[in-house]
Amino acid sequence: MTALALKLNPSADLFQEDFAANSGDLPGAGLAWLDERREKAMDAYVMTGVPNRRVEAWKFTDLASELEDRLESTAAGSAPYIDEKVFGVAEGARVVLVNGILWDVTQAEGLEIVDLGKIDAKTPDWVCANLGLLASGPDQPMGAASLALMRSGVAVRVKASGVLNLDFVNPPLARDAVSHTRILIVVEQGASLKLLQSHSGAGTHQSFANIGIEFVLKAGAQLEHVVLQAEAATAIHVASIGAVVARDAQYRALYAATGARLSRLDVNIHLDGPGAHASINNVAVPGYGIADTTTVMDHAKPHTTSRQLFKSVVGGRGRSVSQGRVLVREGAVKSDSHQLFKALLMSPRAEADAKPELEIFADDVVCGHGTAIGALDEDALFYLRARGIPEAEARGLLVRAFLEDAISGIAGEAVHDALWRKLDVALAAFDGAET
Amino acid sequence: MSMLEIDDLHVVVDGKEILKGITLSIPAGEVHAVMGPNGSGKATLSYTLAGRAGYEVTRGRILYRGEDLTALKPEERAAKGMFLALQYPVEIPGVVTLNFLKTALNAQRRARGEPEVDALRTLKLVREKATALKIGEDMLKRPLNAGFSGGEKKRLEILQMALFEPKLAILDETDSGLDIDALKLVADGVNMLRAPDRAMLVITHYQRLLSHIVPDRVHVLAKGRIVKSGGADLALELEQRGYEQVAAA
Repeated sequence: MTALALKLNPSADLFQEDFAANSGDLPGAGLAWLDERREKAMDAYVMTGVPNRRVEAWKFTDLASELEDRLESTAAGSAPYIDEKVFGVAEGARVVLVNGILWDVTQAEGLEIVDLGKIDAKTPDWVCANLGLLASGPDQPMGAASLALMRSGVAVRVKASGVLNLDFVNPPLARDAVSHTRILIVVEQGASLKLLQSHSGAGTHQSFANIGIEFVLKAGAQLEHVVLQAEAATAIHVASIGAVVARDAQYRALYAATGARLSRLDVNIHLDGPGAHASINNVAVPGYGIADTTTVMDHAKPHTTSRQLFKSVVGGRGRSVSQGRVLVREGAVKSDSHQLFKALLMSPRAEADAKPELEIFADDVVCGHGTAIGALDEDALFYLRARGIPEAEARGLLVRAFLEDAISGIAGEAVHDALWRKLDVALAAFDGAET
Repeated sequence: MSMLEIDDLHVVVDGKEILKGITLSIPAGEVHAVMGPNGSGKATLSYTLAGRAGYEVTRGRILYRGEDLTALKPEERAAKGMFLALQYPVEIPGVVTLNFLKTALNAQRRARGEPEVDALRTLKLVREKATALKIGEDMLKRPLNAGFSGGEKKRLEILQMALFEPKLAILDETDSGLDIDALKLVADGVNMLRAPDRAMLVITHYQRLLSHIVPDRVHVLAKGRIVKSGGADLALELEQRGYEQVAAA
């Protein structure tokens, strides 16, 4: 099967060649534990290579055909334009990565931050104990590639509570380029972190940001995770998230995607102890490209709960892909999961693909799902207009109303308002992108 | 002066002619009722007057205060002082009722070149009108019509009418889905808004609403035409004898 996949998918060579030629020069090369994990990840990646539509989990998103061109790795050194704090949150630590390479770290009390680009024998044990164990298997091939080829990144440990602004800034590149970046976050027992992650970009060259993110949530830990993907229109963006959520720990996420020619959020959550909970709200507003969020919610232990809400507003020739696989393993009784997929199509050529999937191997569980895809409600539009609200404003009001429940209720007002500012810009651009 | 002048109005919906030549005139200060059985064209008449897309005027015209409305959008008609209270007010989760009221009020004011009102002033205006309709502040904080009872929805429609102060109000089956107490509350709200410079068109299937909102004229609509007009007594006659007999007489 491996050989066949390789033949079908010659672009797999792109990253294999990179690994063959450069693995000895990658950060931490020579550390036995890391070499071994990188090798293993490369093997996992090679099983599919860059995924195309023949890979079931990628049937709606053909990354291979988008990555036909050869891409060189980015290097540090280009001057970043640093956005104001994207979410308007002044507190906490800040990590800035420029074209996938760590640029700047502002420390804050309560957070331990390690530069993965300088990983060596002195790297703390908690990094060695965790790095590369998640988002690196054959089920997340691009995550595996991001570990095998990791050039930069950070590891963060939270012992009590903290806020981390994690800003990926992608200034214009001089040529097409790829970056492989890893993020590891360990939230210790009973600790909590608010993680505000942004991706912003500009330029006309093809950039491919390949990011692997690991979350280790110990018992009772809490992670609030907000992602705003506002990449340049030529960018390709793949982020693979792997999380282990221990007993009574909670992962609460809001993912928003407004940019990129192709973006894929590949999420794998492992609910690993009674009382573990994950909630994901996903908001995608593609006006031209593909915005794909694919999740696997793995209820591995009894009494675990998950909630997922996918909302897309699609304009122009944009396409949203929302896939949610819920797995309830044998013995994971009293698991409780729900997922809801809703999409609004704002133009005749807009497309939304939604695919809920359930695999249940335990009794006494509650698993619900629902899907609704359609245009704006004409009755509602007429109602608002008949009360004097002009058509464009009425449409905007209804779109806002549609998305609001997915955006409210996480990370506070400043974040809520910052997200809306970006979403408003993306939605306003729909009219120009029509047909 | 005539507030509304409908002249030989023909309307086609989905390729089918529903209104087949309606002529009707409502002077300022009067309340007229249009009564008709199911399928007579009542809803088509109200949607056409409000300018809903898909209701194509193929012949005749609608004059509102002397101006031909046919080419105007729904929001333009609203800004000019027309108001349609819907039979089924639409539920819009995610839009807070009070915000909606402020947005609509200011959209109309903007279109008329009047200064906008801020949130505080809106709240004050709304409060003044809401008390009589027994609309509490909690209802205004809820999403627009979402989860409202039938009575709550209709009261909110009348609240909007009071807030926007239209010159012409069209009430489409405002009595549907109301129990007796709610009906009385809504009718009292409407009666309070009767004024010499305001006209109303009450569209209804049943006579019972017209016991509370007593019209100056009653018109019977059947198969897309006004087949009979008369005073308030005509509504009672319809109730006793039925549409078929009265229409045939």
